[in-house]
Amino acid sequence: MNEKPIRVGVVPIGNLDGIFAKTVAAHLLGYFHLQVDILSPMGHPDYAFDPGRRQFDAGLILKALGKRPFRNSQKVIGIVDVDLFVPILTHVFGEAEQGGRHALVSLHRLRKREDGAPAPLSQLLERTAKVALHETGHLFDLLHCREKRCVMHFSGSLRDLDQTPLFLCKYCSLYLRDAFKRASRP
Amino acid sequence: MDEKMSIMIVDDEMIIRESFIHWFRKYGHRVEAAASGSEALEKLEKTAFDLLFVDIKMPGMDGIELLERIKEEYPDTIVVIITAYGSIDTAVKAMKLGATDYLLKPFKPEQVTLVMQKVAQQRALVSQCRYLRDRIEEMTRFDNIIGQSPKMEEIFRLIPEVAQSNSSILIVGETGTGKELIAKAIHAKSPRANGPFVAINCGALPDTLLESELFGYRKGAFTGAVSGRKGYLDIVSGGTLFLDEIGEISPKMQVDLLRVLEEKKITRIGDRHPIDVDFRLISATRRNLEKAVAQGNFREDFYYRINVIMIRVPPLRERKEDIPLLVQHFLQKYSRETAKRVDHIDREAMEILKRYDWPGNVRELENAIERAVVLSKSRTLGSESFSFLAAPQPLEVKRRSLREVERRYIEKVLEECGWNVTRAAEVLDINRVTLHKMIKRYGLQRPS
Repeated sequence: MNEKPIRVGVVPIGNLDGIFAKTVAAHLLGYFHLQVDILSPMGHPDYAFDPGRRQFDAGLILKALGKRPFRNSQKVIGIVDVDLFVPILTHVFGEAEQGGRHALVSLHRLRKREDGAPAPLSQLLERTAKVALHETGHLFDLLHCREKRCVMHFSGSLRDLDQTPLFLCKYCSLYLRDAFKRASRP
Repeated sequence: MDEKMSIMIVDDEMIIRESFIHWFRKYGHRVEAAASGSEALEKLEKTAFDLLFVDIKMPGMDGIELLERIKEEYPDTIVVIITAYGSIDTAVKAMKLGATDYLLKPFKPEQVTLVMQKVAQQRALVSQCRYLRDRIEEMTRFDNIIGQSPKMEEIFRLIPEVAQSNSSILIVGETGTGKELIAKAIHAKSPRANGPFVAINCGALPDTLLESELFGYRKGAFTGAVSGRKGYLDIVSGGTLFLDEIGEISPKMQVDLLRVLEEKKITRIGDRHPIDVDFRLISATRRNLEKAVAQGNFREDFYYRINVIMIRVPPLRERKEDIPLLVQHFLQKYSRETAKRVDHIDREAMEILKRYDWPGNVRELENAIERAVVLSKSRTLGSESFSFLAAPQPLEVKRRSLREVERRYIEKVLEECGWNVTRAAEVLDINRVTLHKMIKRYGLQRPS
């Protein structure tokens, strides 16, 4: 039985520097061995702005991603530079449909250091890659992991995120491999 | 958020419910949602949940009312209150009503993680407490009957079984094996548990007194009966009567009791009108009643009436594996009672206790530990605390006169107390003058 390669599309949303999409693509290829395409960008998500919270509703942006066909991509990851929230949480670094097709990474809060000063580009890119890998894990139905040395470990703060590695623990690696097998079946 | 839990979100806003569901599923928890307090209660009736997130402001039943209902009906369920209308007053009220935590919407992701960690700790504590309670209950399953040996396990298995019937039970075993404790345990596990448990030592009462104690009497029934009195057979109605040393009762009393057991009626002494009685009889004996029946010293019909179910309690020498458990139990008991921190026993001392034959059974072991704790000057009991056990063995004691045994015992206690007469008198529970007289009478002398 021939297995179909899994293709993931990375979609810049709004006006973003191309380096972010390239970083995410490189990490998905390097760490998860996925085939990645950088897709044409989508417009700024004004429709998802919540005036009360002055933030953008991650759920609405995910819905908008769902309306685009992305025919060649099994999974789609949007990168956005706005502050994302889900109704119960003050903010999220990223959001994904658990076991679904669409995920988001927000650069907004990743840009700062803990003291409020801008984070260096290298740190920003590393954080972006981690959030993207983490959300991709969710797309393949991986759950949050209790192991701190695993990219699927939940990070609520930038400090947590900076301490999280880029790789998966051995159990999450096994789960991901099984998920890839399932996803590759024609 | 290590442990997988079963969570319910109770909030009238759909978007909040969905958001919670989505969030907690990422941790692998089983999540359900209810849009109102009444829907939540309906779901709780069908399924057990470990944790509920409850919004305060909801139409109909609000979160505080729901919290009260949950704590009343499902006290083990952990509730975390959520609200966008938070105030200190509501928070205090919610916590007083038993909420584990309180969150203001929207939460920082770390706050949810912290709450979940707290909940996990609380669950772990509750389950640890439950485990320890079960463990203690398992070890001291029936009052203070302690044991893990197969013979005791068999008795523990029997107790709840026989407790359900109303049949008479005969408990057979040597003195000090805990026959009364077993009788109490049967009563406690029986449908009569709410009724009285009356214990009478038949061996300690003369026949006439036993009769009036059991049957009661009418005013003027005999000299001194200035007023009437209910007997224990009447008082115990609805409960359990425990007759210890039943082998000691007279043939006449055997007949009287046989009649009561068959007719379920008693007539007070000096009275003519029978009264209905309803009790369950548990008897105990250290004698071999079968042999007594064979020799014609005990009525056969009465023996079979009181011996519908027989429980044999093994002597301590036949369940020596229980000794360490019993020792620990008595050490704790007497450390507490004497307010002394004597909570250890060394290996050599334990070996002495395991080697000894314990003719007085558990009661003798308890006395030995009590004595050792009272005399101990350190936290750990050593072999010297039980040197008295290694000396005269019970058979040897039997062959000596009581006077000789008393003399040797006083001498031993004096030696252990370093010939401090005041302390020795305390241990012997006599006053100093009496002890001095005894020392003189027995010609005891302090070694030079």
